[in-house]
Amino acid sequence: MAAAADPAADQNPNPKGAKPHEPNAEAEFVEEEYDEDGEEEEYEEEEEEELDGPAAAAAERERVQSVFQRLSSDPVAIRVHDVVIEGNTKTRDEVIEAEVADLLRAAPTVQDLLHAASVATSRLHRLDVFDAVKITLDAGPPELPGTTNVVIEVVEAANPLTGSAGVYSKPEARSWSLEGSLKLKNPFGYGDIWDASGAYGWDQTTEVGVGVYLPRFKSIPTPLMARASLSSQDWLKFSSYKEQLLGLSFGLLSTMKHDLSYNLTWRTLTDPSRASSMAIRRQLGHNLLSALKYTYKIDQRDSLLRPTKGYALQSTSQIGGLWDNKGLRFFRQEFDVRGAVPLGFYNAALNVGVGAGVILPLGRGFMNSSSTVPDRFFLGGQSSPVCSLSGLSSLLGFRTRGVGPTEARRLVPNESGSGSAAPPGRDYLGGDLAVSAFADLSFDLPLKLFRDAGIHGHAFVTAGNLAKLSEGEYKNFSVSQFQRTFRSSAGVGIILPTKLFRVEVNYCYILKQAEHDSGKTGIQFSFSSPM
Amino acid sequence: MASAAAAAAAEWEAAERKVLVARKPCFGLPTACPTSLPVLLYLRLAEVPFDIHVDTSFPDADHIPYVEFGDCVAFNNERGGVIEYLKEEKIVDLNSKHPSVSPADVVSTKAMVSTWLMDALQYELWVVTDGSIAHDIYFSDLPWPIGKTLHWKKARDVKQLLGITKLNAAEKEEEIYQKARAAYGALSLILGDQIFLFDNSPTDADALFLGHALFVLSALPDASVLRGTLQIYENLVNFVEHHKVRLLGDSSSPGLGSSTSPSSSTPRKRASAGQSYKPKPRAKKERTVEEKKFRQRSKYFLAAQLVAVLVFLSLMGVDSSELDDDDGIDYED
Repeated sequence: MAAAADPAADQNPNPKGAKPHEPNAEAEFVEEEYDEDGEEEEYEEEEEEELDGPAAAAAERERVQSVFQRLSSDPVAIRVHDVVIEGNTKTRDEVIEAEVADLLRAAPTVQDLLHAASVATSRLHRLDVFDAVKITLDAGPPELPGTTNVVIEVVEAANPLTGSAGVYSKPEARSWSLEGSLKLKNPFGYGDIWDASGAYGWDQTTEVGVGVYLPRFKSIPTPLMARASLSSQDWLKFSSYKEQLLGLSFGLLSTMKHDLSYNLTWRTLTDPSRASSMAIRRQLGHNLLSALKYTYKIDQRDSLLRPTKGYALQSTSQIGGLWDNKGLRFFRQEFDVRGAVPLGFYNAALNVGVGAGVILPLGRGFMNSSSTVPDRFFLGGQSSPVCSLSGLSSLLGFRTRGVGPTEARRLVPNESGSGSAAPPGRDYLGGDLAVSAFADLSFDLPLKLFRDAGIHGHAFVTAGNLAKLSEGEYKNFSVSQFQRTFRSSAGVGIILPTKLFRVEVNYCYILKQAEHDSGKTGIQFSFSSPM
Repeated sequence: MASAAAAAAAEWEAAERKVLVARKPCFGLPTACPTSLPVLLYLRLAEVPFDIHVDTSFPDADHIPYVEFGDCVAFNNERGGVIEYLKEEKIVDLNSKHPSVSPADVVSTKAMVSTWLMDALQYELWVVTDGSIAHDIYFSDLPWPIGKTLHWKKARDVKQLLGITKLNAAEKEEEIYQKARAAYGALSLILGDQIFLFDNSPTDADALFLGHALFVLSALPDASVLRGTLQIYENLVNFVEHHKVRLLGDSSSPGLGSSTSPSSSTPRKRASAGQSYKPKPRAKKERTVEEKKFRQRSKYFLAAQLVAVLVFLSLMGVDSSELDDDDGIDYED
C-alpha cells in the first residue's frame, strides 16, 4: 500500500476529507515514492522541510498513518502526467512505452495505478531482455496538483548472449530430443530476441534453425515470430522415405487460446534405400507447402503431468495451397477433446479423450487426387495420450506408424533361387481419416513410499482407426466397416516421474488388430519430458 | 546368377502391365528427357507393350527413368541402368537376337555415344542455352522457387562435371564440340546406308544414339552448334527421321507405349533462331578487358559512396547525442 501525503495535511486536521488536487497556498512540496519489486512493498517518504530528530520521526509516522487511512477508505484519484523511462541504453523507448504506457495512463486512482504498476513490471520482465525492472511513482509538476510521474527504471541484460541445452519433448514430436540453442537478446533495441538452435531427436530427426521474436511490430499488439529451419526426418523403417524440409515459418498471432502461423516449406521426399512401395515411389520428389495453420486451445485441467480434474480442447486447422496451383493444396482438421474426473479414493482420476482428424486434397479433381504422405495421419507409438494434447497419434501397444493402410514394398527377385524370396515388408501409408479414443484410470499405489515419490499406477484402454479417402476411396468408405475395424488395446502400468524424464512402464495387451498392423502384446517403456 | 535372372524374367512375364516412369513429353517427343528417351526407344524397338507414367516432381532424381513390372522395379541408378538390367536379366536383350553383331563394336559405340555425345548435349542444354528448354522439360510443374534453385544447382553440377571454369570456358567448349564432331563422323561411317547401326538389326546402341539425336533435332534451337553439326551428316538425319516415324508415329496413335499420365503432351515448337541460344563463352572473351575496367571503376565509386555515408552517419551521431536531453519529455506520435 502506498501513502499519499497530503500537502494540506498540516492545515486540515481531518485527513479523510482532504483531496490531493485541491490547490493549496502553502505548497509544501512532498515527494512520494513507491517502490515495487515483485510482490514486496516498501514505503518511504521524504520531506523537504527539515524537522528536528524525534519530532520529524513523529510527524512522519503521523503522515504515514493518515495516508494509509485515506487509501484504505476511499479511492484516491490521480492522473498520470508523464511516463519517464530510464536506464535503457539499447532498448528503444517506444518498445517499453508500447508495453506499459497505456496501462499506466489509464489508471484513474492510486490503487489502480499501483495494480497497474505491478502488471507493468511483470510484462516488462516477460520481455526477457531486462535483468531488473523498477517502477517508481514520482510527484508530478508542482503547477499540476494531483498528478504523478511514473518513472520506469530498467537494467538491461548484462550478457546478451545466452546458451542452453536440454532434453525436451515437443507436442508434435514422437519422442524426446536433445536441443541446444543460443539466444541473443535485444541487439537492435526493439526487444527482439534472436536464437539459433539445433536439435537431434531420438527418432533420427535433426533440425537446425534461426529465429527472431519481436514483442511488438509497429501497431500489431501481439508478438511476432519468424523462423527459418532446415530439418530432416527419417521414416525409412516405417514408410521407406526420408524427408528433408527447408522452411520459413511466421507466427502471426499467439495468445493463450489462439495461435495463427504461416509456413512456407520446401519439402523433399527421397528413398535412398530404393525399396519403397509404389504408392510411396509416386510421392517422392519436391513439394512446396504454403499453409496457414490456426490452433485454438483451451486447457482447464489442473495438471499437465497427472490431470485429475478439468477438461481440455484443441482444434487445429491447416489450409495449404496458398502459393499457386503448383504447391500442395489440402485442408487438414484435427480435433482433440479431453476430460478428467476425480474419483474419491486413492487420489484416483479417470481421464477420457477422443480425437479425430481428416485431410482433404483441394483443387480441381480433388476427389481423385491423392493426399501427401507426410501430411496424413498416423497412429501408433508409445507416447502417453494423457499428458499432451495432441494425443490423436498415440495408440499404446502398437509401434510408431504401426496401424493403417499398407502396401507391399519393392520385390527384389531372389538370387539364391530356392523357393520364394523373403517377404519384402510393408510400407505404412497413413490415413486420410483418423479417429482415436482412450480411457485412463490413474491411481496412487498403496505404499507411502511410492506416493511420496509421485509414482502412481494406471490402467488404460485405447482404440483407434485409420481410413483412406483420397484417390476415389471415399466411395468404398462405410461407417459400419470403419467401426468394425477399430484397433484396440488395453493394459496397466506404472508411471515414474523423475527429474529428467517421465518414465512409463506399461504392460499392453492387444485386443484387436488388423492383418498388417504391428502391435505387440508385452511390456513397453516410454519416456517423455518431465514438464 | 542364372536362377536370379530366371526369377526376374519370371516376374516380368507374370506382370500384367509394365510401366515406364519417365519425364514429361515435350517438343513432339513422348518424353523429352535425354536420359528417359533411350529407354523408351529400346522398349519400342523390342516391341514390348508398356504404359508411361509421367513424373513431374523429381527432376533431379537419379533413379528416373525406371520400369515397374509387378512388384519389381528396374531403376536407372542400379546395375548400370534400365537397359543394362534388362539385358543382364535376359528379359529384353536386343543384341542376343542377332549374334552376328560384334559385341566389341557395339560396346565402343555405346561408350562414345554415352560420353562424348551426352556431354555435348548436357553442355548445350544446361550451360549454353538460356534455360527455357530445360525449364519446359524438368521444372515447369514445380513452383518457381524450387524450379529456379534446382535449375541453378544442375547447371553448376554440369559445369563441374565437364570441368568448365571461367578461365577455360572457351577451350572446353571447343574440345566438347570437337569430340561431338568426331563422334558424329564415326557414327556416320558405321551407319553407312544401313537401317540400323550394325548389320540391319537393332541393338541398344541404336536406342542410345536415336534418343540423343531425336532430342538434338527436336528440342535444341536452330542456332545450336550441335544441331548444326549433326545436320551435316545426311545419313544420320535420315536414320533419325525414318525411325521417328516408325517408332513414335503420331502423338495420338494408339498401340505401343500409351501415356497414362493426366498431364497433356504439348508439342512445343522449337525456339526460333537465337531466341534461346546465347553463345556465351565467345562474348565473354571480347567483353573481358572493357568489363574489367568498368567493374573496377564501379567498385571504387561504390566504396567512395559507402565511406561518405559512414562519415555522415558518424558526424550526425555525434551531433544528436549532444542534443539528446533526458528530461523525461516524451513526444508521442
